[in-house]
Amino acid sequence: MSSAIDRQVTTFQEQFKRVKDEVSKVIVGYGEIIDGVIMSLLASGHVLLEGVPGLGKTKLVSTLSDVMHLKFSRVQFTPDLMPADITGTNIVQEDAMGKKYLQFQQGPIFSNIVLADEVNRATPKTQSALLEAMEEHSVTVGKTTHKLDSPFFVLATQNPLEMEGTYPLPEAQLDRFIFKLKVDYPTVDSLHTILNRTTKSQEPKVERVLDQGEVLEMRKTVRAVPIARPVQDYAIRIMMATHPRPPYAPAATMKYVRYGSSPRGAQALVIGGKIRALLNNRLHVSCEDIRALAYGALRHRVLLSFEGEAERVDTDTIIKAILEHTPEPS
Amino acid sequence: MSDKEIIIASLRRVERRIRANRLFTELSFGALLFLALPLLLKLWDLVQPMRGVTVSIIAGIWVLLFAGYVAWRVIQKGTLEQAASSADQQAGLRDELKTAFWFINNPRPSDWVDAQIRRAARGAESMDVNVLYPRTLPRTSYIAGAMVLVFVLLNFVPLPWNHNWLALQAAPAFSLTEKEIEILKQTEELLKKAGQLNQTELTEKLEEIVEQLQEGKIDAQQAAQMLDDIQNQLEEGNLDASSINEGLEEMAQDLAQSDQLEPTAGAMQNRELNLAADELRKLAEKLGMNTPEASKEMQKSLQQAAENTRPGLEELAKMLKEAAENLKNDKQQQAQESLEGAAQQLESLQARIDSQQLKNMASQQIQSLKESLQQRQQQPGQKGAKGEQQAGGKGQQAPKGEKPDMDARGAQPGEAGSEGEPTDEAGEQGQPGAMMPGGAEGTGLMPGGQGGTDAPKEGDATSLDVKLQQEKVEGMQDGGEKPENIEETSKMERSRLDYRNVKSDLSPAQKDLLNQDRIPWEYRPLIKSYFEAIRPTGKKQDK
Repeated sequence: MSSAIDRQVTTFQEQFKRVKDEVSKVIVGYGEIIDGVIMSLLASGHVLLEGVPGLGKTKLVSTLSDVMHLKFSRVQFTPDLMPADITGTNIVQEDAMGKKYLQFQQGPIFSNIVLADEVNRATPKTQSALLEAMEEHSVTVGKTTHKLDSPFFVLATQNPLEMEGTYPLPEAQLDRFIFKLKVDYPTVDSLHTILNRTTKSQEPKVERVLDQGEVLEMRKTVRAVPIARPVQDYAIRIMMATHPRPPYAPAATMKYVRYGSSPRGAQALVIGGKIRALLNNRLHVSCEDIRALAYGALRHRVLLSFEGEAERVDTDTIIKAILEHTPEPS
Repeated sequence: MSDKEIIIASLRRVERRIRANRLFTELSFGALLFLALPLLLKLWDLVQPMRGVTVSIIAGIWVLLFAGYVAWRVIQKGTLEQAASSADQQAGLRDELKTAFWFINNPRPSDWVDAQIRRAARGAESMDVNVLYPRTLPRTSYIAGAMVLVFVLLNFVPLPWNHNWLALQAAPAFSLTEKEIEILKQTEELLKKAGQLNQTELTEKLEEIVEQLQEGKIDAQQAAQMLDDIQNQLEEGNLDASSINEGLEEMAQDLAQSDQLEPTAGAMQNRELNLAADELRKLAEKLGMNTPEASKEMQKSLQQAAENTRPGLEELAKMLKEAAENLKNDKQQQAQESLEGAAQQLESLQARIDSQQLKNMASQQIQSLKESLQQRQQQPGQKGAKGEQQAGGKGQQAPKGEKPDMDARGAQPGEAGSEGEPTDEAGEQGQPGAMMPGGAEGTGLMPGGQGGTDAPKEGDATSLDVKLQQEKVEGMQDGGEKPENIEETSKMERSRLDYRNVKSDLSPAQKDLLNQDRIPWEYRPLIKSYFEAIRPTGKKQDK
């Protein structure tokens, strides 16, 4: 049985590596972002990529959809985008007898991978159209609920909130993203590689290396990884430390945080930890996994207080304080 | 062994090693802190030697505290969870052992859990405790070792006042001065010699007193009283030396009238009683060869000598009388025996006189020791441990006639401008006190004002049995009553006011004139007491 598990782990690692390698053919210098995106997919979550325009966020998502045998759709969020433009709507149809009837026309959300590009450019009303789909993997139009295909994976990109013409995502929607990944400027070496690849006559082609079944199998493997109670306790204490309440909160949380993470934060830590353990050829989650994922899993779940916003405190600073303040189980 | 057993055995090994290393580090550090105390105390002991009781109490408390600390640290054991966590960290296993140990304690039916435990067991097996937790000597242990070495060395520092605590030695409660020790040795020798001459256990008693004094069981005053008792015992049964001498002299004169007894008489006159005894024995042997006239002459001399019965010579006189009577009755044999008895009496007398002399010398030594102790008892400022009295100050040697309560102050730096005073004792005994010229101001053309550096030096204190009497002098109105001590009030307690430099309008030349010392210092108390004596009292003035 042990060898079967080992094979399962090896297969998982190989498949993960294949996807990453294919994406890396197009996306240069964002190894950690690629890892985060794939991990979000395997964790049955959604990912929010934040970065200024032109850093390759959209390219990353579209490339990822290219390397998988999955149905992909893209929605460009704009201020005049309506919810029905995402979910779909009932339209009047006429049959052969000339009788008119309403037929549901599926929106772009009915895909395996949905790219919600510049999601914070749409109004909150439109942004909220994603809520049900992201959490329950279904869309309700009128009195009818339509199930979405599995896997369902939303990759949203957003510009930093300080930019003109953007609407901050509501807390409820932010909480539905398992990770929020910050896309920073690539290094000079990476830029050289990007220019070399994108300024030639032939752009790099990617192959489809993963199908729907394999993705689902990988998700199943992830959830089989055991986690010991002390490590899980560590994840919970970190999540609880984001709340400005004793006894877990450090001084930074008490001062600058209005609301902390929901239990989804702890879920993200644990499930992400399991994926990371498999990628590191381990059959258990370690505290190191939890720490490594804390920023991506919690930074969008920590809502700053007035003082925090006034002093322009970065949530990553608070998470760093939490990690320093929370001792590992001995 | 199953995977679980392998993991638990490994964790136990790790826990033991962690505990051993922790204990070694903590005990080294603890020893470092604890050793600081005896080390500092030993250093302090070199400056101010501590008594055995003090050292014993401190050492006892120290040992108890250290033992308590060691016990407290030893009984603290780590858990296997902590060992797993530590081993994960040391071996970079990323919580593998911790997770496995948790699943061992909280089993669940899962192939993944079993696989995880199997992997952890493989990791635990390959774990080398000696590599992960090497036995290293903490730096504190070197320091602690060095401190122990320093402590031991300090105990062996060859200083006269250093006491080796390791050999259970400490400073006595009362230290004898070198002079006192010398007196004590001489006394003991004398008493031992006296003991050989059939004397008592006084040596042991003396040693016991000194021991008790040094241990602090008795003070110097009590020791002096006990020495008094020894002196009394020594004086018990003393011979009346003058009476015996006179008696022997008279006997010798009587015996010298006979030619045969002349050598014996000569030896007796020279107080060589053993020689006299030998002469008597020789005489007794030749008794048969004497002419009747010579025998008669001898009988007469012996008879006359026997009539002299001074205290202490009764037995000798009795023997001489018996000899004379036997000679008179021509009982040669009995006469020889009587002369032999007289010779034995002389030898016995010689032994008693010798013993008496030794006892007298010992008594004198004890008296000196007693006086020394009494003198020190009256001087609380003396440095007990070293037995050294330090007369401090910038140049003022404390006078011997100083009051006892001045002694402590005598060890303080002297004030340059303070004026010395004749002391009470000096006044009573007629010894002049050291009058220190004062006055810091002035040109320095006149003597004085230099802190008493020119003060006359006095010899050793002598105890006089005679006190000078206050003489009634002409003009004394109160008939010689004790003069009022005008300084008594100021002596009640030290002044709380600081000395101040009083400004004077006088020129330096005028000050020098005022500060002239024309009266020799040794006459000052006399002059002072004279004027105090003739000073009209307040009562008389009222009348």
